[in-house]
Amino acid sequence: MSVHSRRVPEPSSSPTGHSSLLIGWVLVGLMGLATLLSVLIFAHTSLRLDEAQSLFQISRDVPGVLYLVAQDVHVPLYHLLLKFWTILFGDDIATARYLSVVFFVATIPAVYYLGKLIFSRRVGLFAALLLAISPFMLWYGAEARMYALLAFLTVIHQILFVQIFKIGRGRYWVLYVVVAILGLYTHYFFGFVLLTEAIFYLFFRKHFPVRSLPKFIVAGVISVGSLVPWLGYVYKLGLASNTQPYLGIPSSGDIFNTYAQFLFGFQSDGLNTVIISLWPILVLAAFFTLQRKKQTSPGSVFVIMLAVLPVLGAFVVSVLIKPFFLSRYLIVSLPSLVLVFAWIISIYPPRVQRVVQLVVIILISGLLVIQIANPNTPVKEDYQQAVAYVSSQSKAQDVIIATAPFTIYPIEYYYHGPAKLTTQPIWDRFASGSVPGFDATQLATQTQTNVSDYRNAWLILSYDQGYNQAIKDYYDNHFQQLTHRQFSPGLTVYEYKIRYDPTVSIK
Amino acid sequence: MRRVPHAVPTRVFLLLNISLAIAYFICIACFFPIGNPILFGVLIVAEVFHLWQALGYVHSVWPRRRLHRFNRQFQPPVAVYITVTGEPADIVEATVRGVLAMDYPEAHVYILNDGLVAGRENWREAEAIAEQYGIRCLTRTVPGGAKAGNINHALSQTDEPFIAVFDADHIPKPHFLRAMMGYFVDPQVGFVQSPQFYKNYAQNLVTGGAWEQQELFFGAICRGKDGSNSAFMCGTNMIIRRSALTQVGGMSECSIAEDFLTSLLIHQKKWASVYVSEVLAEGLAPEDFLSYYKQQFRWTRGSLEVIFKYNPLFRRGLTVSQRIQYLSSASFYLSGLIVFANALLPLIYFFTGLEPLTIGTMTLALFFLPYIFVVLYTVQLTSGFSYTFRALSFSLSAFPIHLQAIWQIIRGKKSGFVVTSKRAVAGNHGYLVAPHIVYIVLVGIGVLVGALREGLNPSILSNAAWALVYVASFVPFISAAFQKTTVPREDTVGVTEAIEEAHS
Repeated sequence: MSVHSRRVPEPSSSPTGHSSLLIGWVLVGLMGLATLLSVLIFAHTSLRLDEAQSLFQISRDVPGVLYLVAQDVHVPLYHLLLKFWTILFGDDIATARYLSVVFFVATIPAVYYLGKLIFSRRVGLFAALLLAISPFMLWYGAEARMYALLAFLTVIHQILFVQIFKIGRGRYWVLYVVVAILGLYTHYFFGFVLLTEAIFYLFFRKHFPVRSLPKFIVAGVISVGSLVPWLGYVYKLGLASNTQPYLGIPSSGDIFNTYAQFLFGFQSDGLNTVIISLWPILVLAAFFTLQRKKQTSPGSVFVIMLAVLPVLGAFVVSVLIKPFFLSRYLIVSLPSLVLVFAWIISIYPPRVQRVVQLVVIILISGLLVIQIANPNTPVKEDYQQAVAYVSSQSKAQDVIIATAPFTIYPIEYYYHGPAKLTTQPIWDRFASGSVPGFDATQLATQTQTNVSDYRNAWLILSYDQGYNQAIKDYYDNHFQQLTHRQFSPGLTVYEYKIRYDPTVSIK
Repeated sequence: MRRVPHAVPTRVFLLLNISLAIAYFICIACFFPIGNPILFGVLIVAEVFHLWQALGYVHSVWPRRRLHRFNRQFQPPVAVYITVTGEPADIVEATVRGVLAMDYPEAHVYILNDGLVAGRENWREAEAIAEQYGIRCLTRTVPGGAKAGNINHALSQTDEPFIAVFDADHIPKPHFLRAMMGYFVDPQVGFVQSPQFYKNYAQNLVTGGAWEQQELFFGAICRGKDGSNSAFMCGTNMIIRRSALTQVGGMSECSIAEDFLTSLLIHQKKWASVYVSEVLAEGLAPEDFLSYYKQQFRWTRGSLEVIFKYNPLFRRGLTVSQRIQYLSSASFYLSGLIVFANALLPLIYFFTGLEPLTIGTMTLALFFLPYIFVVLYTVQLTSGFSYTFRALSFSLSAFPIHLQAIWQIIRGKKSGFVVTSKRAVAGNHGYLVAPHIVYIVLVGIGVLVGALREGLNPSILSNAAWALVYVASFVPFISAAFQKTTVPREDTVGVTEAIEEAHS
């Protein structure tokens, strides 16, 4: 017998009736926990900019929705679903968020099933737990945006891919193509999922059923081809981008920030620095995986690839071509990351495994609480409180100015007072074309246009597009700043005195 | 013809490994801003060594198709040597029984008894066993050359054209000779080696760690060496062609790593070697930490002596692959120096604030993490997923042994062959890991000093995490040292005595 000829049998994936029932209840419990956290905490936070944009876009009829989404940087499936969802259940932000909660909660058993298919029930269950308490998933799982749907479709597509890999039945191929089309119409970044699968196929094609190559080619052509009409429509509209935020070229730190966010959520700069500075611990974690006969299966390579390649791909493209590196776009990697995480821990010796699992659960739960409780959590956008403050303080003779211009969406969602609401740079949203850029030579003119007929100006600065400081400096130098108040990181309200006219009493 | 199987499935990872290793080295050496020049120099030396080891490993395990001639009917007479130096009678007897049970037409068994010249009180036991089983016992009366001298003495007393060698605690399987001798049908084959397997590997932390360390060597590495005709003798479980051995003057008595050096000399004479990747004999790992320590010290000392005195780079007759393989194997024992230097870097930062590079810790992570992950995965992939954290721990933690051996060589002290104890040496050998415990204490103090000086900034945190990696890696080694051995033994000795004994 060769010293290296021994092989460990595949982990059993056929639970007994008793354990199957128990797992079912555990999954129901996890889904209940995720729902509870989403509904009680995250569904009742302030409307955020992106959500306001979603609500604005679905406020039109279907052709109007398509038109607005085409002008944006996204694809329309989620918006159409949200449109019908709000018609059925109501158009307030909490109701809109519940649609995402549905997809988020559905992702939990899906991740369990994927983990069971690739690794074992234990790994699947722990991954499902990590997903249910993931601060990142809880944040975007209750946001009126497409990210929860994107994560859900990604996991479903992975399941189908693995089923094709293992079984290769015809119905999986059909579903595989259908979900690919849905995924591509949910977010362009679903393309990274398809790309990763293609690369995996390239290296592991011998493990797939015979004659799978032509099927993959046809599936790929149909999936990607389905996007052509939409791209044609966008092209016809002139590729206008109404609300595309300014994104800088990412650095190496952004890669680690992304993974830190995936695992530990959004933390203040100080705490985040602590987390990512401890990266050598990853080396130790890798050392611990050195265990006898803990072999890497093609399935585990697949989830590792999906946890890594989209992030690296987005990074490389952002550095070389155009920056679009945003952690929420990369949510396609998150389910795979928790699976990899759960799998790696499962490799450890049983005693170490239990300790590490407990530490990880406590750590993530603790950081989730901090994310919820800390007012300085970076992604928090408390437009609700900011607008409530302005509403209570402003008069009809005042003007409210939103900078950057597209932040007018969440402000107007909450603001129902008598003061005039405008933006700087000045933006006519009802005219076709993109958001106007900042022009320093126009600063004085536009400011005069905005404030000249008013008593006080309320400048709401958020989503810095690179010119917020210039606008604030101009106001500081030309008007008297009366008050200022910060409501969340990057969201500050400044009150300026414009005129000193005596109050006219009309009888 | 028998085709040598290679379990190494992919060249992609090996190429990726080398590419990342080179890319990482170039970044470290050329593109990152230098901090303290001395520390930078130390870092570069360490990285050069890592790069060399990576290249050596990839060269070892790179899949090659080397076909060996094999004929099961080739069954010439074989002398079977069992080398004995006062090992307990029950152990020797078990080996004799195993040897006699080998299924081979003409195998003449000899006990090579060195107990008398080694001053063992039980030296007569070997003769008694020989008499009991009707085999010859060749007891030396004139000392010299340790194990190599013992074998050479036997060579002069016997005349079989092939010699199989077993340590006193290595019991061959019945088909040992039939599985090995067929390779000698090729007249170019000078020796054939099979793996050492420790049947007591599950006995305790020391035997487990010792075996897991060996498993990588006797698996992927030796199979790879076979592919480049660079497999070397490992002291036991081997068969040598007499004419090859006599051509190089017998087993080399100039080194305590006599098997390693003799292999090199035989390869120099253009003989070929074969490694049979099948467990054909079962032996015993050192059962206590002191014995393990002594064994590792002997291997380190012997291997490093080859570098300094018989450097394969300058030996005529070796192929390029053989030069690389011999140098790679021998230089492995310099790794203690590199581990020590790397482990010191966080401490130096804590106490002085000096660092070799002044780049952001994230930038370093971006280059280092993919590199180390691919390295670890490649090791697992090529070793058939047999490498363990404990094996890594034992390798990293062996730095004091390596440093001690290097120091002895620098001082020019002579060294003798010490047989690894076949019985556990009683007692607690925790004192052998004093350097590791001191390191842990210094890390604790250092983190406090650094934090008081700079606060918990990213540099302090990263260095603390690095130190933690080393501390955690030392834990299995420290645990093994503190494991109490209860089996009494009359010749219990301390490490200093052991090393002095080795020098005598």
